[in-house]
Amino acid sequence: MEDRAGSPELFMFLASTVHDMKNSISVLTGTLENLLVQAGDSAQDNPAYPQMAQMLYQSKRLNDHLIQLLALYKEVGRPNYPFDPTPVQVSELVDQLVAQQRVLLQSKGIRLDTEFPPGLIWTLDEDLVLGLLAHAINNAVRYTRDRIALTIREHDGLMEVRVEDNGSGFPPNMLEAGQVTGQGINFLTNSSGLGLYFASEVAKSHKHRQRQGSIALENGGTLGGGCFILRLP
Amino acid sequence: MNAPAVTTPVAASPDKEPGVNWADKRYLIVDDFVGVRQLLREALRSLGARHIDQASSGGEAIGLLARIQYDVILCDFNLGEGKSGQHVLEEARIRGLLMPSCVWLMVSAEKSVEAVMGAAEHQPDAYLIKPITEGVLLTRLNRAWQKKQIFQDIDQAYLEKDYLRAAKLCAEAAGRNKLHEIDLLRMRATLLLKAGETEQARLVYEKVLQERDFNWARTGVGKIRMANGENEAARQMFQGVIAENRFYLDAYDQLAKSLQNMGRIEESCDVLERAARMSPNSVPRQRALGATALKLGNIPLAERAFRKCMQIGEYSIMKTVDAYFGLARVLGQKNDAKEALLLLAAAQRDFSGSMVELRSKITEGLVYHESGDYRRARKSGDELETMLKEDSERPDTATCLEMATLLFAVGVKDAPVDLLCYVVRNNDENTVIHDEVQRIFDKARMGDEGAALINTARKEASEMMNKGVLLWKTNKLDDAVEWMREARRSLPDNMRILFNSAQILISHLQARGYNDALMTEANDVLMHVDRIAPGQQRFAQLIEQLQKLIPGRMSAEEIEAELTAAMKDDHDKE
Repeated sequence: MEDRAGSPELFMFLASTVHDMKNSISVLTGTLENLLVQAGDSAQDNPAYPQMAQMLYQSKRLNDHLIQLLALYKEVGRPNYPFDPTPVQVSELVDQLVAQQRVLLQSKGIRLDTEFPPGLIWTLDEDLVLGLLAHAINNAVRYTRDRIALTIREHDGLMEVRVEDNGSGFPPNMLEAGQVTGQGINFLTNSSGLGLYFASEVAKSHKHRQRQGSIALENGGTLGGGCFILRLP
Repeated sequence: MNAPAVTTPVAASPDKEPGVNWADKRYLIVDDFVGVRQLLREALRSLGARHIDQASSGGEAIGLLARIQYDVILCDFNLGEGKSGQHVLEEARIRGLLMPSCVWLMVSAEKSVEAVMGAAEHQPDAYLIKPITEGVLLTRLNRAWQKKQIFQDIDQAYLEKDYLRAAKLCAEAAGRNKLHEIDLLRMRATLLLKAGETEQARLVYEKVLQERDFNWARTGVGKIRMANGENEAARQMFQGVIAENRFYLDAYDQLAKSLQNMGRIEESCDVLERAARMSPNSVPRQRALGATALKLGNIPLAERAFRKCMQIGEYSIMKTVDAYFGLARVLGQKNDAKEALLLLAAAQRDFSGSMVELRSKITEGLVYHESGDYRRARKSGDELETMLKEDSERPDTATCLEMATLLFAVGVKDAPVDLLCYVVRNNDENTVIHDEVQRIFDKARMGDEGAALINTARKEASEMMNKGVLLWKTNKLDDAVEWMREARRSLPDNMRILFNSAQILISHLQARGYNDALMTEANDVLMHVDRIAPGQQRFAQLIEQLQKLIPGRMSAEEIEAELTAAMKDDHDKE
């Protein structure tokens, strides 16, 4: 019994460090967004502007990775992420995503189109799914030329979310990684693996009537570039 | 804590309130990190907010909340040293510092087990995860606001403890609001349980489970089976929930209870220990763990739990004197009577109320007795006897039984006999308690005498009640009310006397017209019942009847219908 005493303390220490890091990243991201908004469209010719946009992109990535690491760490050493599905208005999910990515997309000159059934309500863990989709859009920012489409529909008892772009598509190694997710193969060796692994874990924790959520990567789609697909029961 | 039953009804509001004006609201931001406060302030300003206050600690937040009424509170869960966000929320709610319309958003760096799975009684309106962006903030604010509107009447009925009316309102609202349907059904089931309508609550849970396998609904069915005495079936259900979701804390607490009910104390203790490891900052859980460990004689574990309980309690309004008494017992068993006595002195300094003094004295006696100092234990017993003579008020049943056991053990005779008779009179129909009392008499080598005493005490109680009921049935309502007042004075915790008192007061109000004083009296009686034995069907039914008597509460048609029914009732009786 006593030998466990050290572990909660270490955990408390890690938790408070994470707390600090999240605060710092919040402030960093928030300040950058405020600066970009204040600079306004007229500043787009200023050479510092795209650099700031890049900083914002990187700080968002940092945040995503921190969330993912945290979830993974917890799964190893501690209770894994508390999973809390609730009914969510899909339009609100989209609103939140669009608002989260607005400044970044604007500063990079990328257009985001959305399409979803207006009255649809789905039961899901809102924070986990928001984190997953924000990461997918962030990823699309990296690969796209100038357009991203977020499309949600209900199909065969599943909610299907597609994040598509008009870039040159995912590189083959990522498509491969995407295919093996959910088959129990360790794809953490891949550089993009962490995000995919996290997304796949989140999708799988959604279960309903003997069905499980899943993710998939494709090239092509309506915009001809990369396509990330999330399906939830 | 008496919830006022007499309040003016709140006007029903439309479910949809498009476009809340967030600019005119008053905001409070609580975070220990100045950068985050600035960021949140910017986000609020972009919604047009002008009145924004800030606090950098829980203490500072409580100070502001006590002076100013806020519409929206953004509070960090983790505030460093001192009070946590949850402590601030609990204290603000319990001290009544929040308007019912106030929206509380709890902010945290990550989704913690406590935040989501906490069986905490006081939940915020929403949790937000950092980093917070304007879009998320606005969406969640609007949602929380809309939910508040939908739950407004239900919350009001809940505060009045009119659980049956609140449950009806939930059912109505669930039909109109697809998005909040599940929340409303969950609330409805909780309310039905509080009203003692277990069968109806089970139907609600089962309906939800057909839609989706929610942990809370499965745990709910388990609770009902446990209440029906099916402890083994309940245990399996709780275990099943935990197998699916290792952090669903409520299932652990319930599992521990079901094991306790089956006398499997050791396993129960293990379960509580696991839950406490996952979520160590719950006063009730640490207290339960301490008490169970003490029962098992696992002194180191009991000591850790009680000490932790006191440590959390330091910043929490939920702090409890039980942890002091528990730890004192632990110290006594470790032969450290001196330290135990210091702790009892601290308990009397930190907590008020006459029962604290009495319970300290009981614990002191137990500490001496268990550490083998029989001379001092006897002295404590004599002092207890004197205290009992001086004050006619008695503690709850469990404490009375504990006290009687101690008094017999140290050699006092009359006082424990009186106490046990008092317990029997207050529980004249509860055979489980009669058996327990008989065992205490047996142990004191007073088996036969005890049996006779129990019998007499039971008769006394039932005669007292029968006389009140007779007065009522013969329509001598004033006399009946007066007689029941007297009965309550001598037997303040007798469930049948309490229920019949309330029933007679309600009859008086129905027959002789509305009267503020009688209304308050009936309400007080029922609030007392709910405190000592919550979740009774008759309680909920009486509260519902009482609420209908409040002027302006019923529509003209409802009054008409009630009157017709009452007249028909009268005819049936004749």
